[in-house]
Amino acid sequence: MIEDDLRAAFARHESLAPPAGPVRAAIDQTVVRRRRRLRLAGTAMAVVAAALTGFTAIAPQHREAGTLLAEPTASAPTGALNVLLLGVDAAGPDESRRADSILLVHVPADRSRLYLVSLPRDLLVPIPGQGTDKLNKSFTSSATSGNGDLTRGYDRTRQVVAQLTGVRIDAGAVLTYRAARDLTDAVGGVPVCLPAPVRSVHTDRRFPAGCQQLGGGEVVDLLRQRYGLRDAARDRDRNAERYAAGLLRQIHERGGLTDPVLFSKLIGQVGSGLVTDTGDLSLPSLVSMAGQAADAEPVGLGLPVRYVDKPTIGFGLDPALAPGFLDALRNDRLGEWTEAHPDQVNTLR
Amino acid sequence: MFGRPGSVNKAGHREVQVTYEEFADARLGALLRYAVMLTGDPHQAQDLVQETMVRVQLNWRRVARTDAPERYVRRMLTNQYVDWRRGSWARRVLLRSDPDEAVPAPTDHAQSAVDRDQVWSWLSRLPRRQRATLVLRYYEDLPDAEIAEILGCAVGTVRSCISRALATLRAEYVEVCS
Repeated sequence: MIEDDLRAAFARHESLAPPAGPVRAAIDQTVVRRRRRLRLAGTAMAVVAAALTGFTAIAPQHREAGTLLAEPTASAPTGALNVLLLGVDAAGPDESRRADSILLVHVPADRSRLYLVSLPRDLLVPIPGQGTDKLNKSFTSSATSGNGDLTRGYDRTRQVVAQLTGVRIDAGAVLTYRAARDLTDAVGGVPVCLPAPVRSVHTDRRFPAGCQQLGGGEVVDLLRQRYGLRDAARDRDRNAERYAAGLLRQIHERGGLTDPVLFSKLIGQVGSGLVTDTGDLSLPSLVSMAGQAADAEPVGLGLPVRYVDKPTIGFGLDPALAPGFLDALRNDRLGEWTEAHPDQVNTLR
Repeated sequence: MFGRPGSVNKAGHREVQVTYEEFADARLGALLRYAVMLTGDPHQAQDLVQETMVRVQLNWRRVARTDAPERYVRRMLTNQYVDWRRGSWARRVLLRSDPDEAVPAPTDHAQSAVDRDQVWSWLSRLPRRQRATLVLRYYEDLPDAEIAEILGCAVGTVRSCISRALATLRAEYVEVCS
């Protein structure tokens, strides 16, 4: 009886099985992506360049780039640096924003390259005055509209990230959609290499797999997409890193990281959607550091997390990988950690 | 074709090599149906099969070298399902859309269909391992020895697993009827 009912129930539900064709295609795409990920290790983010641009815009322009690189000022930091870059969404009906792209740029003491570490916006963290909530909400409660509030939102998120990671945040920037669009257009478009096609749920625009030159409007469209991506918001973080890498490369190839005039032209075109914080650092020393580190291909990483459903659905730190990762970040040993965990590196191009 | 042992000579060289493409052509549909029976949900089934088959394709040479590639793949898929909290595919499913992860309600709202599908919904309350044994015996019609091999446990464990699962389902019957 029950055995027969079971057989019948199984037989009736065979029709639930999804068609094989699309599944086959999705498998093949993922395989291509993972093979590429095994081969490659390199990256950066749009906001990186934006921050660098921001710093440089007010740098003293009478000094030659060569002087800046060759003779860092006396206050030049010699240790590792951590720069926090936030991409925020459009202001909601209540004028609140969320920081949906959160990137910590680690500059090692040897200035050999940049490490881009994305922090998932759905990471559950203690937020002062709000209990445990998602990381992207740390921006919300104080940020409303206008640049003053972007600054306050940045400060709150900076505190939360510093507490979470145990590293000092030396500098940072906030980028709105509009700033990302303007910045992209100001550098003449940005090359972005996608491992899989992306379809915009907002505009129905199709971004094919592979490398493509994107204008400002297209970039903003791409950076908003997470539905339909295999790894949802985490894949979006990876796309943001890819865009950042492309933007950084674009600026660097045009000499932008060593040419203050080009920088200030760029920053003038971006305007008020970009807010930067240079902390205790002098601008020339930041420029110097950026120029050196940008010579090598950046490395894309993500804070190791895993899915949790308590206290709510989101991410928690991966107990196996996160302690070692954070330890490496704090002690400037990300190079070793990356070598030991090549599968954690995001393919950027 | 894929149930039979592959031909491997003494030196370990493959003589008849099934390609990944041939395997996927022939068996992907069946694996998707199997995954639906395990998960009870087409989206989860798709993710489960996708994740497994990506690993199969990346390691195809090793898979093809086994005596029975299909059984090997079925074993990978079943383990992935049983370990799903630890696996990566579950969180993708959960984050893809807002969490409404309950087994989907039957689409046919006729009362008779609801009654018939009660067995199906009871299945979702079983521990995964028990559900897997039921699917392997009553859907795939595999002998207990092969089920044991797929689950990596003793034949006696398979039998006790099945009888416990059936007892749970029978208890549900009693509850509904009383």
